[in-house]
Amino acid sequence: MTDEKSLEGWAPEIPDAATLAEVVDRAFDYRGDVTVMLDDGRELVGYLFNRTRDVAEPFVQMFERENAGPSRVPYARIRAIRFTGRDTAAGNSYAAWLRSREAAKAASSSPGA
Amino acid sequence: MSVPLSQMWTVATYVLGQKLRGHTRYPLVLMLEPLFRCNLACAGCGKIQYPGHVLRKHLTVEQCLAAVEECGAPMVSIPGGEPLMYPEIGPLVKALVARRKYVYLCTNAILLKEKLQAGLFTPSKYLSFSVHMDGLREEHDEAVCRDGVFDQAVEGIKEALRRGFRVTTNTTLFDNASPIRMQMFFDEMMDLGVEGMMLSPGYSYSKAPDQEHFLRRQKTNELFAKMLANPKKRWKFNQSPLFLQFLMGKQDFECTPWGNPTYNLFGWQRPCYLLQEGYATTFKELMQTTRWEEYGRKSGNEKCQDCMVHCGHEPTAVNHTFSSWRGFRDTVAATVTGRL
Ligand code: SF4
Ligand code: SF4
Repeated sequence: MTDEKSLEGWAPEIPDAATLAEVVDRAFDYRGDVTVMLDDGRELVGYLFNRTRDVAEPFVQMFERENAGPSRVPYARIRAIRFTGRDTAAGNSYAAWLRSREAAKAASSSPGA
Repeated sequence: MSVPLSQMWTVATYVLGQKLRGHTRYPLVLMLEPLFRCNLACAGCGKIQYPGHVLRKHLTVEQCLAAVEECGAPMVSIPGGEPLMYPEIGPLVKALVARRKYVYLCTNAILLKEKLQAGLFTPSKYLSFSVHMDGLREEHDEAVCRDGVFDQAVEGIKEALRRGFRVTTNTTLFDNASPIRMQMFFDEMMDLGVEGMMLSPGYSYSKAPDQEHFLRRQKTNELFAKMLANPKKRWKFNQSPLFLQFLMGKQDFECTPWGNPTYNLFGWQRPCYLLQEGYATTFKELMQTTRWEEYGRKSGNEKCQDCMVHCGHEPTAVNHTFSSWRGFRDTVAATVTGRL
């Protein structure tokens, strides 16, 4: 888990296949629900847990919030991805933990603490 | 070392069988995660951060058993999340024991006493509770971010031992650990009567330059070398002595990411228990389509540079035991003398 800024609320434009692949990768790393907008106007809301790129027809897999799932969606059918759910990993990285430990230690060892 | 002879024999014959068949990549321990839900929220834990609807899901017993069959490893470790929160944990463990799999049920033990009193489990040489213990009371409660958990775990351990179960502990150490306090911890666990202890350094990943990676590995070596320099005869470790020597800087091992494959709600995790770079639908697909050459320290993958964790390197240590006379001799010597 990295300690980068959260993508919560992100709604990127997807003008081409290269950008789509990149946004799918970000959605795959994201620890919150996303909304996947399909070419037929449907919207799938759920957790995107996998993406398979090295096949003839690349696809993502999701656990939708309202279905038992998992469901499978080809990249070719995706028009947009919105990072709509809460990022459950935000502020919970190992690096953030180390920082808070160090801060707590510094506070408890400072004079007058 | 404290692994029972029957288990050692099972592992030895399995590994030798794989070698005789010319298999260079084979699984040793299946990491079976039936759910991600947990009753703790330990700092730095990357296993539990999912939306609520994912945390409420779990694998069925049938899915778990199909994964076990597919994988074929002689040992099954059940981490999580917290496996004692899995509603089917009793039937799952029973089915695994019936298949003569050596099961390590990895638990924070908050619910252990209650589940044992409810009669969920039967003692067996195939079943060990592997209790998460990150040090003495102060260190453990700090690591799990809740006071009183150490005492609850000790209660659980005592209850399990009283009922005749095998109990081990598993401890994750970061390089700020105190060797002296850890030695006191080993004494305390042995006083409790656990069968053995398992140690692993924690996993940390940072985009640090090479020199820092080297220093981090050196720090891990120093910590383990100090802690285990003169191991007391009574300290029992439920793991390969060569892996402990690796942590002390006395062996140089590469990672074997396929050694402890992970199966969970999402499928077969690539490439290892720690990194989530994608999922395969079948075990065969995992083994055949993962680009294994992209992982491990020699690959140059920056995520692997600091990593010395048990799930990637203990299988290497076990394989080393059966790959050369030196490996075999070193393992036997450490097992017989207790010296590392
Ligand atoms: S007990 Fe284990 S799974 Fe639960 S939060 Fe702690 S480290 Fe994570
Ligand atoms: S070195 Fe560590 S992070 Fe890299 S593949 Fe092995 S176990 Fe995973």
